[in-house]
Amino acid sequence: MADAPSLITGETKAGDWRNYERVLLPPVKDLHKIDVYEENGGYSALKAIVEDGKFDPKGLTDEVKASGLRGRGGAGFATGLKWSFMPAVDPEKPRYLCCNGDESEPGTFKDRQIFEYNPHLMIEGIVLSCYAMTIKTCYLYIRGEYIDYVNHVQTAVDEAYASGYIGQKILGTDFSTEIVVHCGAGAYICGEETSLMESLEGERAYPRIKPPFPAQSGCWGMPTTINNVETLACVPLIVNRGAAWFAGIGPEKHPGPVLYGISGHVNKPGVYEFPTGMLITDLIEVAGGVRGGKNIKAIIPGGSSTPPLTWEMAREATMDAETLREAGSSMGTAGLCILDEDTDMVAFTRRIAHFYHHESCGQCTPCRDGTGWVEKLLSRIENGEGYTRDLELLLEICDQMEGRTVCALADAAAWPVRWGIRRFRDEFEARCKAESFVSSEMGDGASTETESITI
Amino acid sequence: MNVIIDGQSFEFEPGDLLLQFCLDRGIEIPHFCYHPALSVPANCRQCLVQAGLPARDRATGDLVRDENGKPVVNYFPKPQTSCSLELSDGMVVHTQYDSEEVAAMQADNLELMLINHPLDCPICDQAGECPLQIQAYKYGPEGSRFEFEKVHKPKRVQLGPNVVLDAERCINCTRCTRFTTEVSKSHQLSIIGRGDTNYPMTAPGQVFDDPYSMNVCDICPVGALTEDYFRFKARVWEMSSTPSVSDFGGKGINVDYWVRDNHILRIIPRENLSVNEYWMPDAARLVYERYNENRPQGPTLAGNASDWEAAYDEVANILKAANGKVVFLGSAYATVEDNYLLMKLAEAVGADAPQYISRIQVGSGDNWLISDDPAPNTQGCERLGMNPLDPVLLKAKLAGGEIDVLYVLEEDPIAAGVLSADDLLGIKVILHHYHTTNETLAHADVALPAAMCVETIGTYVNETGRAQRLRPAKMIRSMNRSLMMEAGVGQSRTDRHGTPFDRWYNEDHQIDCQPGWEVLPAIAERLGAPMSYKSPAAIMAEVAEANPAFSGATHKAMDLLGVALQDIGEPV
Ligand SMILES: Cc1cc2nc3c(=O)[nH]c(=O)nc-3n(C[C@H](O)[C@H](O)[C@H](O)COP(=O)(O)O)c2cc1C
Ligand code: SF4
Ligand code: SF4
Ligand code: FES
Repeated sequence: MADAPSLITGETKAGDWRNYERVLLPPVKDLHKIDVYEENGGYSALKAIVEDGKFDPKGLTDEVKASGLRGRGGAGFATGLKWSFMPAVDPEKPRYLCCNGDESEPGTFKDRQIFEYNPHLMIEGIVLSCYAMTIKTCYLYIRGEYIDYVNHVQTAVDEAYASGYIGQKILGTDFSTEIVVHCGAGAYICGEETSLMESLEGERAYPRIKPPFPAQSGCWGMPTTINNVETLACVPLIVNRGAAWFAGIGPEKHPGPVLYGISGHVNKPGVYEFPTGMLITDLIEVAGGVRGGKNIKAIIPGGSSTPPLTWEMAREATMDAETLREAGSSMGTAGLCILDEDTDMVAFTRRIAHFYHHESCGQCTPCRDGTGWVEKLLSRIENGEGYTRDLELLLEICDQMEGRTVCALADAAAWPVRWGIRRFRDEFEARCKAESFVSSEMGDGASTETESITI
Repeated sequence: MNVIIDGQSFEFEPGDLLLQFCLDRGIEIPHFCYHPALSVPANCRQCLVQAGLPARDRATGDLVRDENGKPVVNYFPKPQTSCSLELSDGMVVHTQYDSEEVAAMQADNLELMLINHPLDCPICDQAGECPLQIQAYKYGPEGSRFEFEKVHKPKRVQLGPNVVLDAERCINCTRCTRFTTEVSKSHQLSIIGRGDTNYPMTAPGQVFDDPYSMNVCDICPVGALTEDYFRFKARVWEMSSTPSVSDFGGKGINVDYWVRDNHILRIIPRENLSVNEYWMPDAARLVYERYNENRPQGPTLAGNASDWEAAYDEVANILKAANGKVVFLGSAYATVEDNYLLMKLAEAVGADAPQYISRIQVGSGDNWLISDDPAPNTQGCERLGMNPLDPVLLKAKLAGGEIDVLYVLEEDPIAAGVLSADDLLGIKVILHHYHTTNETLAHADVALPAAMCVETIGTYVNETGRAQRLRPAKMIRSMNRSLMMEAGVGQSRTDRHGTPFDRWYNEDHQIDCQPGWEVLPAIAERLGAPMSYKSPAAIMAEVAEANPAFSGATHKAMDLLGVALQDIGEPV
C-alpha cells in the first residue's frame, strides 16, 4: 500500500454514527414473532420480488453486487460476486444454499443476536438469496451448543412456513424453496465452509481441498453457495432500501451495517450495531469505556484469529477491511476484544493457542502437530520455564504452518502467535530464561528439558 | 500440452495429476496420503511443490516475456500439494530437486509429522519397508527441536481378528478409512478424536471383520496397522520376496511371497491393475501355513519311505502292467505345464485323456476377489481340453473292473468327495500330493510329494482367461537347474536381496518334493516315450504354439503381469 494515501487517519468513516438507526437489530420488542416482524415491514422485500417482480434473479444478484455487501463470516468476500460463481441452472442438478450459523470463534457472538432478536430477517434473506441463485433448498447450519437458538429459529421457520413465506409455491407464486434447520456437530471446524458441508452430509467434518470450489461441487457434489447469517440478513435491507442506500453506509469498499461484538476489559461488553468504518476508540466509548479507567494494551479487532494490534497501532484505525489490513490486522467477524494494561499477553496468547490446538480437525500434518507444539511451548514460557530461543522456534513453527494446509484454521492459529510475539516481544522475553544449554555435564547441546525427558 | 518440471519439458494428458505424473516418470516426490486407488484428500501435506502458470497478456492471450525473451511465470502464492494439482498447459513446477525452498518445506513437514511419532523403529514391524522411515531419512530434517512428552494414544488395539492398531504410530493419512469407505465399502473404520489425538477406530462395540481388512496394513504408510498373523515374526530385511501368483481360487491374485528360512511367512498383494489391482482378501493370506506345514518328505511305496529313482521305476512298472487300463486325473491346482505333460503320458500309455475335479460352486464367491472357484487353474485345464470328471461314471468304471490303475496329479479325490476308500479297493493308486493330510494318501501305492505353487515354475490361467506365471519363492530339497535359474540362485544372494542374513539354505525347511515337470518326463522315459524339455518355459512355448487357446502365453510374454488369452467361451 506504499502509494496509497494512508487510510489510518483517526477519523471515523462511519458518518453520523451517533444518530445511526439500527436496521439489523432494530429496537422493536418481540420482533422475533412473525406478526411483529410483518407489522414492521417484514417480508415486504420478499413480496416485492416474488409478487411484484421487482428484480429477476440476475437483477437481484446485480443489486447485491452494487450494494458492496461483503461477507460477515470472516473472510469479507464480496457477496454478489460469490453468488455469480454459481453455474447456469441445470434442471438435473439440485443446488444448495448453506447459511453458516456455526459461530464458534472466540470473540465472535453476533449471529446469535440475529437468531434471538430478528430471525425472520435472516429467513427472509435466505429466501431472497435462494431466489437470486434459483436454489430450492437452504440448510441453516446452527452451532450445536446454541441449542436454545436452534429451537428458537426452528419456531420462526415453522411460522414462516405457515405463512407461506417458505415452502412450495411461496405466496402463491411459482417460486419454491425449503429451509432445513440443522444442528451442528459441536466443533469450531464445522464453520469452515467445506467442513460444514461434510458435516451436513453426515461425514466427519474434515475440510475439503479446493478446487473444486463449492459453486462447482458443494453439498453432495452439487453447486452450493455458503454465506454467513449476518450476510444473508443484509439482503432484505438491500432490496427494501436499495443498493445505493447500503453502499452509502460506511467506507466505500466495505460498506453497510455491521454487528460489532465487543468483549474484554470494557464496562459494557455486548453486540452493537453500527456502520462499518467505526473508529476503534469510538467503539470503546460505546461499550462504556475501559474497565476501571485503565489504559489499553492491545486490541483484537475481528475474533481470536485476527492479529492483535498494540494500542498504538489501533487507536487511529477504523473498522473496515482495508484500513485494518493497513493497520496490520483484519476485520474478521468484527468481534473486538479489548485488553487492558494488566493483561498477561503470554497467557492470553497461550489460551488462544489452546483453542486452536483443541479445535484442529487433525487432518493436515502442520496444523495437527503444529498447534500442539505451539501450545506446549507457550505453556512453558507462561510457566517461566521457556527460553528466548523458544520465541524464534515459535515463529518458525508459524512459518511451517501458515499457507500449507487444507483450510485456514492453521493460519488462524499461527497469526495470533506470530503477531503476539512480534508486537509484544518484550513481554514474552521477560518470561523466558536466557540460558538454554546445560554446558558441563551434557555437553551435547541438549537442553535441561531434554535431559529430564530422556532420563 | 506441456508442463515444465525442474526445467525439463514433458507432454501430458488433460486431467493428469502432478504427483502421479512425476512418479510415473521416476521423479520421486515424498508423499503419504496419496494412493492411486483412493480419493485425494491432500491431508498429509508432504508432497508440496512450487508451481506457477505462464503470464499471458489479457487482451491478446500471448505469453508475456521478460527482457531475455523467457516467459514470465506467475507462481501460486502458496505451495501446492502435487497429489491434487491438475496439470495445465505451460505449468512450471519446482520440486525439491531444484528448489531449496521446496526441500525445506518438505523437511519442515516431516519434522512436524515426527514430533508425536514414537520413533520406535527398532521394535516396529514396518521398519525397513516404512514410507515414513524411508522418506524421513531422505527428505526429513537432521534432528528434532521438539522437547516435550509426545501425545499418547492406544497401543496394541485388536481392531478385528486380523488387524492390530498402534495409534501412536498413526500419521492420520486416512488411507485406511478411505479403503473401507471407497474400496471394500464395509465402512468399518473412521478417524475418531480431533487434532493430535486422532486415530482410526471402529464404531463402539464393532469389530473390524471386513474380509479384506488386511489391505489396510499394506497401505498404511507406517507401522500403525499390522497383520495379526505376522506381527513380530520377522524383520523385512531377513526375508526375501518373490513376485508370483496366489493359488487361492480362480481370480489369479498377484502376490509377493515373503520367505525366511524357507518358510512362507507372509503373503501380500502385488499390483496388477488387470487382476486384483492392489488388493487381496484376508483368506488368501491366511493360507501361508499350508506351504510350510504337513508337507511330505520324499516318496513312499505302499507307505514305506523310498527314493525317487525307485519310485519312478515302480510307477513305470505299474503303468506297463496296466495295459492302458489307467484313469488319469489332472488337477485344477496343478500348472498348465504339468497337466499338459500328464495328458501326454496318458496318451503314451494308451489311456483316455485325463479329467479334472471341478470345484466351482456358483454363488460361493463375493463377486470381487473371492471366486466361486476355489482352485486356481480350472481354465487352464479347460483350455487344454480336459473335461470335468463325472464321479458317477468313474465309480462305475472302477467297480466294473475296467480300471487297474488310478493316476492322480496333485489332487485328493477322497477329500474332494468324488471317491471313497471302498472305490479304491483293488486299484493301484499313484498319487502326486502336497500334504501328509491328503486323504487319498493312505491308499496310494506310490506317493510322490509334489512341489506347491510356491516351489515351482509354471502357468495358471485365471477365470477370466489370463495366463500368469508362477515363480519359485522357496527352495525344495532337489533344486534343479531350472528352479535355480528362476530363483536367481545362480546370482549372489547379497546382490539380489541385499542381505547375508537369509537362511535360504536351511535344509531342515526344504521339502523333499518334485514338480510335475520333473517327475512326469522321468516316468515317460522309463515307458519308452521320452519327453524332453529344457525347462517349463519350453513346455509352455509348445502349448502356446500348438493350442490357440494359449496363443501368446509364453513365459517371457507373461512376465510379471500375465497375458490375456483369447476368449474360448464359457467353461463347460
Ligand atoms: C476454521 C474456520 C472456521 C470458520 N467458522 C465460521 C463460522 O463459524 N461462521 C461463519 O459464518 N463463517 C466461518 N468461517 C468462514 C467460512 O468458511 C466462510 O468463509 C463463510 O461462512 C462465508 O460466508 P460469508 O461470505 O457470508 O462471510 C470459518 C472459516 C474457517 C477457516
Ligand atoms: S488446517 Fe487444520 S483444521 Fe484445517 S483441514 Fe487442516 S488440520 Fe483441519
Ligand atoms: S492407521 Fe495408517 S493408514 Fe490409517 S490413518 Fe493412520 S497412518 Fe494412515
Ligand atoms: S500426498 Fe499430497 S498431501 Fe499427502
